[in-house]
Amino acid sequence: MKLAIATTINGQREEIAVHPNQTLLEFLRDELKLKGAVEGCSVGVCGSCTVLIDGKPVSSCLTLASNIEGKSVTTIEGLSQNGELDPVQQAFLKHQAFQCGFCTTGMIMAVKGLLNAHKQPSEEQARDYLSGNLCRCGTYKEVLAAVKELARP
Amino acid sequence: MRKFDLIEPKSLAEACALLGNHPDAKAVAGGTALLTIIKQGLLLPKLLVNLKKIIDGSAITFDPVQGLRIGALATINEIETSEIVNRHYPALAEACHVVANIRIRNMATIGGNLCHGDYQSDPPTVLAALDACVEVMSAANVRQLALTDFQLGSYETALQPGELLSAVVIPPLPAGMSGHYVKFTTGSSEERPCAGVAALARIDGGVCRELRLAVGAVSAKPSRITAEALAKDKILTADLITTIAAEAARAIDPIDDVRGSADYKRHLVGVLTRRALEQLANGKTEMKS
Amino acid sequence: MTLVGTNVEMVGGRAKVAGAVTYVADMEFAGQLYAKALRSPYPHAKLLRIDASKAAALPGVRAVVTRDDLAGLNPYFGTGVEDQPVLVIDKARCVGDIIAAVAADSKEIAEEAITLIEADYEELPAATDILEAAKPGAPLVQERHVDKNAGGNIHGVYRAASGDIEQGFKESDEIIENIYHIPPVQHGHIEPHVVTALWEPSGKLVVHTPSQTPSPLQEQIAKVFQMPLNRVRVIVPFIGGGYGGKNHARIEPVVALLARKARRPVQWILTREEVFYTGRRFGAVVKIKTGFKRDGRLWARKVEAWYDMGAYALSGPANTKNAAIIAGGPYNIPHRDYTTYAVYTNLPPAGPYRGVGASHVCWAYESDLDDIARRCKLDPLEVRLKNLIQENDRFITGETMISVGVSECVKQVAQSIGWNGIAEQEKRSDTIVRGKGLAVAIKSTSTPSTSAASVRLNADGSAILLTSTSDMGQGAQTALAQIVADELALPFERITVTFPDSDITPYDKSTSSSRATFHMGKAAQLAVGQIREQLFQAGAKALEARIEDLELRDSRLQVRGVPERSLTYPQLFKAIYGEAAGSLFGSHTLRTEGGIDAQGHGKGSSFWFYSAAGAEVEVDTETGKVRVLQVASAVDVGKAVHPIQCGLQNDGSALAGLGSALVEEMRYDNGQPINSSFLDYLLPSMLDHPGEFNSMLVETPHPDGPCGAKGMGEAALPPMAPAIGNAIANALSGVRVRDLPVKPHKIVAALSNAKERR
Repeated sequence: MKLAIATTINGQREEIAVHPNQTLLEFLRDELKLKGAVEGCSVGVCGSCTVLIDGKPVSSCLTLASNIEGKSVTTIEGLSQNGELDPVQQAFLKHQAFQCGFCTTGMIMAVKGLLNAHKQPSEEQARDYLSGNLCRCGTYKEVLAAVKELARP
Repeated sequence: MRKFDLIEPKSLAEACALLGNHPDAKAVAGGTALLTIIKQGLLLPKLLVNLKKIIDGSAITFDPVQGLRIGALATINEIETSEIVNRHYPALAEACHVVANIRIRNMATIGGNLCHGDYQSDPPTVLAALDACVEVMSAANVRQLALTDFQLGSYETALQPGELLSAVVIPPLPAGMSGHYVKFTTGSSEERPCAGVAALARIDGGVCRELRLAVGAVSAKPSRITAEALAKDKILTADLITTIAAEAARAIDPIDDVRGSADYKRHLVGVLTRRALEQLANGKTEMKS
Repeated sequence: MTLVGTNVEMVGGRAKVAGAVTYVADMEFAGQLYAKALRSPYPHAKLLRIDASKAAALPGVRAVVTRDDLAGLNPYFGTGVEDQPVLVIDKARCVGDIIAAVAADSKEIAEEAITLIEADYEELPAATDILEAAKPGAPLVQERHVDKNAGGNIHGVYRAASGDIEQGFKESDEIIENIYHIPPVQHGHIEPHVVTALWEPSGKLVVHTPSQTPSPLQEQIAKVFQMPLNRVRVIVPFIGGGYGGKNHARIEPVVALLARKARRPVQWILTREEVFYTGRRFGAVVKIKTGFKRDGRLWARKVEAWYDMGAYALSGPANTKNAAIIAGGPYNIPHRDYTTYAVYTNLPPAGPYRGVGASHVCWAYESDLDDIARRCKLDPLEVRLKNLIQENDRFITGETMISVGVSECVKQVAQSIGWNGIAEQEKRSDTIVRGKGLAVAIKSTSTPSTSAASVRLNADGSAILLTSTSDMGQGAQTALAQIVADELALPFERITVTFPDSDITPYDKSTSSSRATFHMGKAAQLAVGQIREQLFQAGAKALEARIEDLELRDSRLQVRGVPERSLTYPQLFKAIYGEAAGSLFGSHTLRTEGGIDAQGHGKGSSFWFYSAAGAEVEVDTETGKVRVLQVASAVDVGKAVHPIQCGLQNDGSALAGLGSALVEEMRYDNGQPINSSFLDYLLPSMLDHPGEFNSMLVETPHPDGPCGAKGMGEAALPPMAPAIGNAIANALSGVRVRDLPVKPHKIVAALSNAKERR
């Protein structure tokens, strides 16, 4: 039996029905066809499924879809406005802060969360906050360079 | 994920009633631990009671007489960033900050953390040092027990069917008591602790009036080191520190796991304890996160 | 404008930051089913009985396949050795071997169906320790594929030698001998293996897979299903990381089998745990004995290395063979005798991982080099420079080495980390010590090998490169587009590089062993050459000029230095075809020469690549914890086609090397994996990444590479672990851990042993 809930996804109010055992990641990918968040480890370690709930990053692979009731969810698809990339996306592009791109959407969402928590994060704060988003291509230096630019007052 | 049903109470009382009526149901809050073990196939419950929609379960309040009360549904991140916690129990904020990653801390709750009973965790060690109690609720009554009595072993707690952990209660710290939690990892920064040591002391004019020492992640549950009593009304000299550290290493019952052998953990507890005590003796309150 | 050497925006970059890339797991086809597998719980067991009838009867299950569904197929596949069954036939050879697979309407149903399959096993003794497995009398993993003369589970013995090893040891002033252990590690691609297979009504098979080897994969699938190549279409979109883990057929054959039985598209996304069962780096044991002169000259070196291939060979034999010729490093040593063994074990299949074969022996020979320098009381940098091969030196294979930038690489990293000679460790306190270390590496690329490229020029002056090179983040499409754009004097935006699609793109050996830029780049250049020929001929006629006076410049063909006498692309097409329409084609199949014989002689690599790493660490001597303060790596890239992308690949290799050095290790208990999850196997994080992380590119052009470029993607990995190991040993006055990873407890034990010995 599905659970009917009201939520906000990428700024849009939605009345949705979710399966009891459905994760937020499954709901986004399978029902809404938002494929930007991807599954890497399914246990909350790699961060490639990162989305924001009320501005804070979570692992959508371990979030029950039902728990977004009354909350506001932001995914990578919700960042660009009128076809314009979000400043974080632009900074990633400028600093070539990605290689294969598989962890990138999660990394960008984590940076959004970081900037929500700290307006001008120091490098130490950035490393600490982002250390749970793993990139096997090893593109950490460039992510930090992108954050540094974004942190500029 | 394998199929299960979800019922979603709106209050703790309702949750208790549901758990009482469905003895096989599992309570889920943040889901970071439970969903992981369901995915791994280690547990296949048919019914989950979702606590995430309860509105009265996550408050963090402080009273100079009663101490700190943390609603079990407070997230780890809410605790690490709580002004009250940082002011009165900074070591607890430290321990919460080093849990997993920011996403997990945004999701996981302190109640879930304790009920999961995973010994490779940070907050329980500090809570043990803080003499924390847990409040356990059922449809019939509310009982309080010491955290060290709540955690029985690895993945084993004193929680009975139909019961819920509703709050963590920490008595006020004696004036002047301070200290830290140290997490030690043997691999990546993202690993769970191989060992964790919490040390708090009240030092008055160079004399230690009270020492509290807890060690976690090395054995099935965090433990208070009884040798802490040796420091009472003594100066923390190098010799005394060495004695207590050696005693701590001796007293624990370490287990082998992927993060370290029992022998290594014992060695580590000796070193980390000694360092923690040296830091207390030197009056250093700064600590690297 | 020349694009090669510049940092154009990465192809696909915008899609990647927008979350708009379609990876294989993002594709959905009408009627798509989802697969799950039953896997062996035992490392070695006879499959006595399998009954999947209850699973097949579960509502929503559309197909179940077991060994009973292999009739009419070639059930075994493999890159060199056809030793891997589509599904377990007679016995399981490792934990995780696929016993049965289910396709169902949902993942949940498939998962439930798996639990309904009944399988009975008879456990067999297992060969899980590499040296034990190599001994005669060990339980045999692959009875039909072992070298009977070598004994045990040894599949192949490979040798390379020069000089007279015994004489060399006699002539040496001193000899040291050590054993090194290198554990298996995970590739760690965040995108798990995933395949979608569907059969068109005509009976043609279409496979979507993030494969680094689309062409050989197509051949393998075609062979299993006994179909011609044109009936098997392999399509590869952007790959979410490969690092060698997505070479070779892995789960494609079984997904194709499921899809055939279900008559529906079937998608299988592996869980992370299953990825651990599907691939890993070879574990290895390396025995190394070196004789040297007191002045630091290496004089004689004997190496024996055992490579653990696991249950299935994949490219193990070829990788192990290549390891033999580089087993002693990029050094001139008068007397050498290197032997490597490819060994089957009852562990999940191993295969190429960034730096394949090279990392294992490099850990041994570079750790030993510092020990030798210490014995000689010489600066390890000096000892390296004294012995490193130089331009035109002869290698163990007998070939003359060209484009040798290794000395420059090590000098640059030494400078970068502030190397100060033989200086002893720096003490920060009684328990915190610092040290620095260096290391170099040499690696070959797959030789001989074949890459074919086709270029289609459109009449408007835009072009498409048809290539089976996969883009897995290294930026292959970007680099290849730069090369083609320059050859045609077109802007970057005017070049499209295709994704591999075997219906459209020609054969390519692989996107691995750092070969794509060199091989595909060259093939593309030569393919464009054919088009240029046609353009120049037509242009010479139309412009009434000699061919040798013409040049392509700024999207036009012009008389050199006389822009007024020029033709645009549409005008050129008009000159050729009578109208500004049509297509011009060029294609080239590049086949490199070489290979080595049984004595290890021949041309070992179409280009050799060289690298160096440096590290500074801080060691806590009480806890054994190591903090990496800085690392540097330098790679001889020949020519950096896209310097930023080269730098990024260096960073990735170096960081993975740091992981191998300190953190990463797949662990087994009698063949049972014990850390097959990211909860227990962590990749290096941003906090593990040192603040100082310098990657440098050395450019020693290679005459055969496009614009002088060589491969470089993996080069920075092999020397990183020994550089860190040497830094630790430097900090600890020579006390050394020889088993990777260098975990804190090993340092504590090594220090305590050293104290006892004193």
